[in-house]
Amino acid sequence: MLRAGYQLLNHSPLGAAKTGSNNFALEFVRWRRKPRWLPVAKSKVFRVPERKKQPEEERAELMRLHNHYKTQLRSVRQFLRAEVVRHEETSTADHIVLTPEQEEAEYQLCIAENAAWNAKIASERELRLAKEREEKVAYVQERLDAGKLREELRRERASEHIRHEIEQSKTFITRSNLDEAIETALANPVDHNFAIDMAGAMYKGRTTQSLGSSA
Amino acid sequence: MAQKAIKYIGRTTDFKGNTLWELVGSLPDWGVGRMVIRNMFQRYPEPCYMRILKVQAVNEQPNEARKVRVTVEKTWRGITQPKPVEIYSTSYKADYSLVPVGEEQKYLSNKNKVEEVILPTTIELPPLLREYIRDETGVANPQMKVHFKKTFNKQARLAQEGEKPTLEVSMDVGKPAPVASKLYEGLL
Repeated sequence: MLRAGYQLLNHSPLGAAKTGSNNFALEFVRWRRKPRWLPVAKSKVFRVPERKKQPEEERAELMRLHNHYKTQLRSVRQFLRAEVVRHEETSTADHIVLTPEQEEAEYQLCIAENAAWNAKIASERELRLAKEREEKVAYVQERLDAGKLREELRRERASEHIRHEIEQSKTFITRSNLDEAIETALANPVDHNFAIDMAGAMYKGRTTQSLGSSA
Repeated sequence: MAQKAIKYIGRTTDFKGNTLWELVGSLPDWGVGRMVIRNMFQRYPEPCYMRILKVQAVNEQPNEARKVRVTVEKTWRGITQPKPVEIYSTSYKADYSLVPVGEEQKYLSNKNKVEEVILPTTIELPPLLREYIRDETGVANPQMKVHFKKTFNKQARLAQEGEKPTLEVSMDVGKPAPVASKLYEGLL
């Protein structure tokens, strides 16, 4: 019913016109009710809620039922609490009383057991540590050998490079043979231009004489 | 022009009287030694009244009825409480009246007492629990103690040895009061 009413309100242009432009004219469609934080509606400001009188017999009977129920509930709780206390007192776990000698013997037994465990674990640990140490030594040795090999290879590559450079340096142009080199260059001009005919033959050189054609 | 009759508008209240500050604030010596009553408690045939022992004024808070800290000796339904009671949080209620010294005797001579209720000492167990206990112990109808906490103004007490309780206590709805039997017509 409320839903239908709200839909009607939302569809009619009268709804917005009536509520005007004040800030409280928000229409909350989701909850179908004025939120608690909005003030009392204008139409309800002067409404006085009716105080309903509870019939005497009803009041008396509700009071009796309440008292009755409380007595029952408290009695059951009291009973269950006593049960728990009784159970705790009679259960075995906390109630074995030992003489000091027995306690001492039990303590020594525990100590011995603990020492045995410790010894067993210690031997296991020593074995494991020795194995780990050996593995570590082997690993380090392997890495050292690999490093040495790597270094040798690098030296070899470097000396190879040096030999190559020395070989190359024989043809270098130096201050002493500069003139000779210039004369040689002038005497032998090089032209990299070339032309290609329809057959794909290459004609090298433009101004200089062709060096020869390649098919 | 004749005065029109006053027409009250708004919510009604069951309170009748003044706040405690309105009473003690205008009395000599803050009304220590005087008798005040709560009109709400005058519904009981037994005497309900308080005698002021000490008054401490409290600053007025804006937009609130003024409170006051008053220590009283309280008598409620014919039983005087053994310790003085401090009234503070309820002192703003406009339900207190001052008893004129001449009328105090009316309250003091009222010897009505609340009818004593004698509770049974045992109650049957709830059905499921009863089945468990029956299985465990083999007792046909196991019973448990009725919960009762002794306070100085309690109207009920547990039955003594060989005494007949005045109130039936069972694990069902119980017997409705004679006034309310109309509510159960055709049901019980």
